[in-house]
Amino acid sequence: MSGQLPTAMVLGAWVATGLTLLIFSFLYKDNPLFKVGEHLYVGVSVGYSVVLTYYTVFNRLLSVPLSKEIAEKPMAPGSYVLLIPALLGLLMWARFFPKIAWLSRISFAFVVGFGSGVAIPRTISSYILKQIEDTVNPLITLLNGGLSFSMNFAVPQSGINTIILVIGVTSVLFYFFFSIEHTGPANAVARTGIFFLMIAFGAAFGYTVMSRMSLLIGRFDDLIAYSSKDFGYPTIILLGLIIFGLWYWQRHNIDKPEGNS
Amino acid sequence: MISIDRRIIFLLIALATLLPLLHPFGLPIKVSPEVQVIYDYIENLPEGSVFLLSFDFDPSSKPELEPQAIALLRHAFRKNLRVIGMTHWLPGTALADSIFSRVAAETGKKPGKDYVFLGWSPGAGSLIISMGQDLYKAFPTDYYKNPTKGMPVLEGVRNLRDVNYLISLAAGSAGIEMWYVFGKDKYRFEMGGGSTGVIAPGLYPFLRSGQINGLIGGLQGAAEYETLIARNGTAIAGMDAQSATHMVIIILVLLCNLFYFILRNEKEGPM
Repeated sequence: MSGQLPTAMVLGAWVATGLTLLIFSFLYKDNPLFKVGEHLYVGVSVGYSVVLTYYTVFNRLLSVPLSKEIAEKPMAPGSYVLLIPALLGLLMWARFFPKIAWLSRISFAFVVGFGSGVAIPRTISSYILKQIEDTVNPLITLLNGGLSFSMNFAVPQSGINTIILVIGVTSVLFYFFFSIEHTGPANAVARTGIFFLMIAFGAAFGYTVMSRMSLLIGRFDDLIAYSSKDFGYPTIILLGLIIFGLWYWQRHNIDKPEGNS
Repeated sequence: MISIDRRIIFLLIALATLLPLLHPFGLPIKVSPEVQVIYDYIENLPEGSVFLLSFDFDPSSKPELEPQAIALLRHAFRKNLRVIGMTHWLPGTALADSIFSRVAAETGKKPGKDYVFLGWSPGAGSLIISMGQDLYKAFPTDYYKNPTKGMPVLEGVRNLRDVNYLISLAAGSAGIEMWYVFGKDKYRFEMGGGSTGVIAPGLYPFLRSGQINGLIGGLQGAAEYETLIARNGTAIAGMDAQSATHMVIIILVLLCNLFYFILRNEKEGPM
């Protein structure tokens, strides 16, 4: 059966299973096998990113179009325009040479200036103005020729949800308002804010638990799939090897004199 | 004070995950309105409409977002939409390409004609602005170095204004918020989102305000979408395990609280 699957797929299954189990070995305790998996992950991620960045940024966006433009229209000043970002990029490297490190400030000034200019108006529009607009929804709406107040919790824009939203936003904002002491009515408002915050934290934590469990399910899915004969039983064989490795390491570690571990 | 070895909890969680995966018990899946909206929107798009799917995640979020991507692609290809794929996350490029190619091959779609995977390009927000001005300057070639200009799948598409629907499957930033801030808010196309469970609560204000029209949250959202397109995938298979682990966690939380109050009362008793 295993002969039917491409070798690359079988090899991939062994690598994926091995790395998953190496990382899972941390659940027992921190150990050298986990460290191997951790370092491989970091190394592979960085290596992959560097290679892809080189081919995408340097080759596709700079080298190829620049040489093409220069070959086609060598006398046109527009053919050399890509040299400007290339120069700004090169100036970033000046940070590694203390004597000319100040040159990198030109590039950083460009990045900060451009970034702020682009981001500030868009962020204010999307995060602040649009959200304020949604917070002050009308309580009463004109429907079928008459005024209506909706009590439907399932409709986000209903009157009842608008009231909850307004109470939530104002009380939470008030909780973070420290210019007056939170006593009497101010304390009641601030405590209401705490309730809203707790509900928000609870929802966020619940979603986080769901998310982490999903990741575990994903890995278990693969481990179950790779435990079949088609792949050569990598899950079973590697699990056995890792348990043996942990046992051996534990024994070796305990036998060592204190302070040498 | 009572203390238990944390490895016992790990073992309980492992069993609660493993057993339902080996023997599923098929709990029903209820579709939430925020997922239904996305399905309905794609369902109502005319054939040949341009659908942009942005894979804004890397392999660490694969279990949650891959099922979402597969379900969305299956739906889009079934509707004969022209699909454009891309990613803002460099480490996720190969994963995105593999998902795209796999689903396209399964549905018999051809690269360049029915879909194109543009790959990754730097810039994030600036890249979105650049795509909003001229798609071909932002991506002169696709992931396989084929020139994008003249591709049948991109016929009539000049920039983001020509995109009929966009979904960002995000595990963080750059993702849904960035697409809204630099894309939809400026170039006025409709967009929805799919996200990991961790970032989903933070996206609900955007959903409520209509900044995104729908939201597929985590593995649960993916399972709902699989239910809608009537194609069972890994998300539906994982939902029993999800429910079982949640049950174990709820029981553990209740037990911890119970012991906490019992021990506190015992402590205070003799005083």
